[in-house]
Amino acid sequence: MGNNKVLEVKDLVTTFRIEKKEYEVLRGVSFDLHENETLCMVGESGCGKSVTTLAIMDLLPNNGRIVSGSIKLNGQELTEMSKKERNALRGKQMGMIFQEPMTALNPLLTIGRQMTESLMLHKGMSKKEAKQTAIDYLEKVGIANPEDRLKQYPFQLSGGLRQRIMIAMVMAVQPSLLIADEPTTALDVTIQKQVLVLLNKLKKDVSTGILFITHDLGVVAEIADRVIVLYSGRKVEEGTIEMIFAKPQHPYTIGLMNAVPNVELDDFDIQPIPGTFPNITEDIGGCRFHPRCPYATERCKAEIPQEIEIEPGHFVCCHKVEEERR
Amino acid sequence: MSDKKVLLELKKLKKYFPVRRGVNIKALEDVSISIYEGEKFGVVGESGCGKSTLGRVILQLYPQTSGATIYYGRTFDDMCPKYFAKEVARLLDYQKKATEFFQKSLEIDKKAEMLENEIDALSARGTDSEVRKEAKLAKKLSMLQFKSKELKKDASRQLREGSRTVGSLILCKDLPAVQELFTKAHKETAEAAAVNKKYHELELLYAQSCVNGTPDESVKAQMDAVKEQVEDHVAKARAFRQEAWDKYHGKDILPITERTLDPAYQKKLDGNYETGINLGKLTNNEMRELRREMQMIFQDPAASLDPRQSVGKSIEEVFVINTDYPPSVRKEKVMELLEQVGLKREHYYSYPHALSGGQKQRVGIARAIALDTKFVVLDESVSALDVSVQAQILQLLNELSEKKQLTYFFITHDLGVVKHFCDRILVMYLGCVCEIADSDKLFKNQLHPYTESLLASVPRLKINQEHSTESVLEGDVPSAMNPPKGCPFHTRCNKCMDICMKEKPPIIEQEPGHFVACHLYK
Repeated sequence: MGNNKVLEVKDLVTTFRIEKKEYEVLRGVSFDLHENETLCMVGESGCGKSVTTLAIMDLLPNNGRIVSGSIKLNGQELTEMSKKERNALRGKQMGMIFQEPMTALNPLLTIGRQMTESLMLHKGMSKKEAKQTAIDYLEKVGIANPEDRLKQYPFQLSGGLRQRIMIAMVMAVQPSLLIADEPTTALDVTIQKQVLVLLNKLKKDVSTGILFITHDLGVVAEIADRVIVLYSGRKVEEGTIEMIFAKPQHPYTIGLMNAVPNVELDDFDIQPIPGTFPNITEDIGGCRFHPRCPYATERCKAEIPQEIEIEPGHFVCCHKVEEERR
Repeated sequence: MSDKKVLLELKKLKKYFPVRRGVNIKALEDVSISIYEGEKFGVVGESGCGKSTLGRVILQLYPQTSGATIYYGRTFDDMCPKYFAKEVARLLDYQKKATEFFQKSLEIDKKAEMLENEIDALSARGTDSEVRKEAKLAKKLSMLQFKSKELKKDASRQLREGSRTVGSLILCKDLPAVQELFTKAHKETAEAAAVNKKYHELELLYAQSCVNGTPDESVKAQMDAVKEQVEDHVAKARAFRQEAWDKYHGKDILPITERTLDPAYQKKLDGNYETGINLGKLTNNEMRELRREMQMIFQDPAASLDPRQSVGKSIEEVFVINTDYPPSVRKEKVMELLEQVGLKREHYYSYPHALSGGQKQRVGIARAIALDTKFVVLDESVSALDVSVQAQILQLLNELSEKKQLTYFFITHDLGVVKHFCDRILVMYLGCVCEIADSDKLFKNQLHPYTESLLASVPRLKINQEHSTESVLEGDVPSAMNPPKGCPFHTRCNKCMDICMKEKPPIIEQEPGHFVACHLYK
């Protein structure tokens, strides 16, 4: 694992304007991503995983904005840049893979046209060089007959192939940050495995830092080096994959682990987390998880828990954990 | 498992979707399974393997191309489908046609034999022109042979169709007598069904009077009388069938071919005898009546609810269409249902947009169990939900199945879910059955290579020192329009043998209750 920080996010607060009111979606999220590292962001829908990536990419919808906090890419502060400067960074220094490859690829253009475009734009390559690079990268992601593929249109390819092409397209530019937003959710398990294996292989070759968004804890176990767990716009736990899986601390992380039907275990009682995920418009004081938490106390309702480091690299935001350690 | 009652039986179910002339998407290919009452039957496979199609064909949302879906949740006495009378009337026709076809094929066989002799004579000499003539004749011969084979197939198809109604009695010489007895039996059954309907009406009346606080004893007496009538008719019908069976079974076989005299073949025809209701042959109205008992819950709860109707109205619709409860009773029933599925009474008035995904799915479940449901097809019903909510819904489904004796047909791609939720699992690949087993057996001991690699692909909740860089299954699922010859999985199988490319493996019972279709096991 490299020690260079690719991405530093600090106290990021973003809001969405809904019917003339501002609602906080991210309530102060901080994390770092190093070179050569895969950081998984886990959480249920609506917890702010995707909003975080959109904020980093400057792709927030019109009613969303970054209120405070900083995002640094290779030491450069992104929040203070102009639209034009950020536009130049996008695709070149940070690339993104989306959940549904069909919507990310242009159905009217050939794969070749789409792959070479970014290379010529960001890398200043000639058409010929770009084509060669595209072929090289298609081979790298395990696509047979890359030259023929370049002439095909997205609809001619299967879901797994499209996702591979997306990966090749993004990686060919050699960005320092790769954001993958649920890239395997729409795929079958067998194809998902192929894509995960591919990402693991690629990671060894390049120094890119990968920010991987998913809600599937199984996928996390397959790919992550470090994990952060988000709940309703706040980070609740952060640590290396061993820490999170072997000794989860936050009640929400534990609940998540118990709710996933585990293929490995023979006896398994599905234990759901009671209640429902809060809407962003709901006003919940103190810890956002307290209405669903079995250990909630009066303090949880009143006071926002601070981040504590229970061992090097393992951070938890929970009053219960803090009190037990005292 | 064998002592359990079968609720649904699929026999060689096929479903083709036509693309253009002569080209079909073969979505289902000879699927034969039995689903027992009260069990949770899981179906897994990759997208495009035909699992959703199977669910829909069972509910007759898609008509089947061939094969039979037999439902044992109701008896003929309870509901007398129209097709039954038609089938009885057609019995003679089946036998006649079968005989004709066989006769024709025999004639052709004779011709073919003559041709063969001619060819033999020619090949003994062997000048140029004779060789040419021989080739011509050989072509003709193969044509004749093909024709005769097809005719024989047609003949046995006719017999098979007939045997669905009367078993091996279709071979009986005195078929008109059999037909007469069965027609009589059928009349009694129809009578029983009609009276039964009356009984149910009275039952409802009585139940309502009980709700009002004054149980109507005269209705109760009427009910008893009607019940007796029903039993009388049923007994008579059974007697007629038994008579036919005793008199003619295994005796006086019409020697259509040598095969018909073979007791093994007769037994096979007996096996075709249907005691349940063949869903594929029902009229639309009859099927609609059965849909009260056979329901479906979809993947996307938002899409299956009307955004302009309040939740209460959406559920109430079921009662408006299917029952004649007065509005006050309907509302109370809906309220009870809402509580049963873990929602609050207040939700009666809310609209779908105000509910979360899990709550919407609960509404979908409430709608599915509103009537006297026995069988529910769940098509990826928890796939769109977040894990914590998914677990809640699974728990709810578990509770309901115990409380209401529901049978689930659970379609999913998530192996973790089936493992902990289902009793038995069917693994499908390209419209074919790969493996059927109890869920704990399947996860301990996978016989089919596809099941094995499918399981190996599932992301584990376990941390390895090294992230895996070895893939388990290469390539994509082939197109169902043009499936590979032989075993459909051979193109991706790492244990592929020569025979796999040529022959489709039969489904065999490798261990009790563990079925597999693979050439590795013989």
